[in-house]
Amino acid sequence: MTFTGTVGTVCMFPLRAIIAMCVALRIHPNILTLTGVVINAWAGWSLAFGKFWIAGFIMLLANIFDFIDGKVADELNLSSKFGGFWDSVMDRFSDLFLLIGLIYLYASLDRPDYVLITALTLMFSIMTSYTRARAESIISQCKVGFMERPERIVLFMIGAFTNRMAGVLWVILVLSVLTVLDRIYFTWRELHSDEPGLST
Amino acid sequence: MTLSNILTLPLRMIWHALFWTFDRATWQYDLMVVAILAFVWLTPPTWLNDPTASGPGLIGIISDFFSK
Repeated sequence: MTFTGTVGTVCMFPLRAIIAMCVALRIHPNILTLTGVVINAWAGWSLAFGKFWIAGFIMLLANIFDFIDGKVADELNLSSKFGGFWDSVMDRFSDLFLLIGLIYLYASLDRPDYVLITALTLMFSIMTSYTRARAESIISQCKVGFMERPERIVLFMIGAFTNRMAGVLWVILVLSVLTVLDRIYFTWRELHSDEPGLST
Repeated sequence: MTLSNILTLPLRMIWHALFWTFDRATWQYDLMVVAILAFVWLTPPTWLNDPTASGPGLIGIISDFFSK
């Protein structure tokens, strides 16, 4: 088993208990999703005032809700197309809250360089999701590129807990740009794979 | 492994890192995670002009040690 696989397996133990509790209480998954966004807004507020440690813990809490909503929906047989749509939309709000919090922080520290880097990170984080969603409306699947939402969230928490947010922002920005380019290239390749003379 | 395979190996590695198609929990994913964590934790914050970080980071501590 790989290192990341082991970490994932270990993290699943407490999450299974939380999922079981939500299922027992029959909490609607859409409520869990909304709760996650509200808590992420709180994390964004903490980031805005440079309280990285507190923000890290709040993000950890918020992302428990983010993670379990789909699993609770499956267990309660409440999975729906609207639930998937609601989850995706709320995820974008969560990303925006966190990054706008950082933009506010760097603006208040009079650091336009990092305001720009965070704004570009925000742009490419949103474009990562958009390119996949748009691609999957014309091709069956577009799951290429490294920097998806779980990676972004874990990196944000690492940056907050270890006070290395600048490094984290650079990593998210560079890998999000690559992910968007990967998805554009992959979609182009899939759409042209039938045409003679083009490699697949 | 043929000579052409060996010669093109670095190029193929770069291409696979840029055009990422690996799943999570694979050894390639682990390698990328290690590279990212090394960058985040080892790079001295002064190199990135980090507005909030404190402390020099591991590379900063080591370079300070050898510059004394």
